Amino acid sequence: MNAEILGLLVGSIVSIGAYSVLIGDNPISRVTEHLYTGILAGYILTTNWDYINRNAVSRLSQGNFIYIIPIILSLMLLGRLTPKYIWIFRYPIALTVGAGLGLAIRTTVVADLLGQIKATILPLNSINNIVMIIGTLTAIAYFLWSTKYEGTYAQVNKVGRFFLLIAFGVTYGQTVSFRFELVIGRLVAMLDPRIAIYTYIFIAVAAIILAIGYRTGKIPWYTGR
Amino acid sequence: MSIIDRLLNIDSRIIYLLLFLALAFPILYPVVLPMEVQQYSLTAFEFVDDIPDGSYVLFDGGNTAATYPQGGPGMIVNIVHLLRKNCKVVIFSTSVECVPFNQQAIDDALEKLSSDVSAENGVNWVNLGYIGGGGESAVAAFVNDIRSVLEADYFGTPINDLPIMEGVNDASDFAAVMWWGGSQGSIPWGIRQIVEPFGVPMTGQCTTNEVPNYSPYISSGQLQGLIGGVRGSAEYEYLLNLPGPALGQAMATNFGGLLWMIAVVLGNAFYLIKRARGEE
Repeated sequence: MNAEILGLLVGSIVSIGAYSVLIGDNPISRVTEHLYTGILAGYILTTNWDYINRNAVSRLSQGNFIYIIPIILSLMLLGRLTPKYIWIFRYPIALTVGAGLGLAIRTTVVADLLGQIKATILPLNSINNIVMIIGTLTAIAYFLWSTKYEGTYAQVNKVGRFFLLIAFGVTYGQTVSFRFELVIGRLVAMLDPRIAIYTYIFIAVAAIILAIGYRTGKIPWYTGR
Repeated sequence: MSIIDRLLNIDSRIIYLLLFLALAFPILYPVVLPMEVQQYSLTAFEFVDDIPDGSYVLFDGGNTAATYPQGGPGMIVNIVHLLRKNCKVVIFSTSVECVPFNQQAIDDALEKLSSDVSAENGVNWVNLGYIGGGGESAVAAFVNDIRSVLEADYFGTPINDLPIMEGVNDASDFAAVMWWGGSQGSIPWGIRQIVEPFGVPMTGQCTTNEVPNYSPYISSGQLQGLIGGVRGSAEYEYLLNLPGPALGQAMATNFGGLLWMIAVVLGNAFYLIKRARGEE
């Protein structure tokens, strides 16, 4: 058995365990959740350790003493582990948040504001452009809460709400499609002709375990809709 | 209880089961439905096609275990497309989980390439691996001075020993950016830290649910098209004439969408019938 098949088999078992939560919370789904959380935490820990080692510790050992600063800041994060020293952890977090915010704001005005305003200044020579301009203006007007909701403004507000609802509908549809794609991604791997028979066996085994659990009352049957 | 009441109170597990069957059916019995290439995908494809041969291209890989099945196939053909144009592809990631999937995509892309295409590690492509520091800050540090945040690539080879990295120090050394953001919501990082400050054009990929969020960036010209979800991947495969797994998955999405639409229409119709009858 090669590594690819082994990976597909493990993925199939774990996916069945994860999806069994749809029947209701049960020991199989919980084991899967804990497995995933544990493996991912371990993987993130080792990769970050490797990154710090390669890019900070090794440079420090080569005489680049400036790298002592990120190492100290990293160690200060561990203050989070005990309530007594939690205040130590706040300094690197404040620095990270502040630096991140500063870097983002640096070009936000151009990227997220001026760019979008420029994109709305369009010639009124096509239906698309007209819809875009009306939609943008009325949707912005919908959020002018300081104006009394009456007269012409009430009509503009209604049009803005109409456009917003369409946008929410599109987002909802895309989200549903995204969820399908997540499931399909797993199903393609689980129903791979090389392991499909094992997937069916795993499903049968999980079903039997759950059926016995529900029958004997060891696993509570989820009664909500 | 009337039939309408029973259907409106149907156990959600029955809907899940129907959905699984609808999604699994086209995978077990492939069905091909007509598909029209979306403008966003076409723009992204043409943008890549127009990159001058031999250019340096910066590539963010942000697909994880969950999103790789939908983004991965498109990412693979995107890499194939770039390497066929003799572009120098520099891949990085700001998320730990994405790094092995980026390498997986490279390996799969190399398998699809014909033997006459140069695709040597460290010469034609490099996987720089993970850039620590947390999201946008990491991107900002990386694109302003690559060597300040990285000593070696994914395989541990020092950056200064890689021919592809010779003379490459910051984002201004690249002709284009591919931002395969998956579901990270990271495309604005690329726009804010590369497109605006350095003026390097960028195209991107995201999961289907994020497409509406990034449409304004396409309208403003800050993003050159967008590969959205599995359909975007399928369209890229189609445009490059390299059919792969995404095309089959896109068909399965159609079946799921059809079932969902029927459920929504029926649910609303039953609700209206009840209201017309004066029931609660």
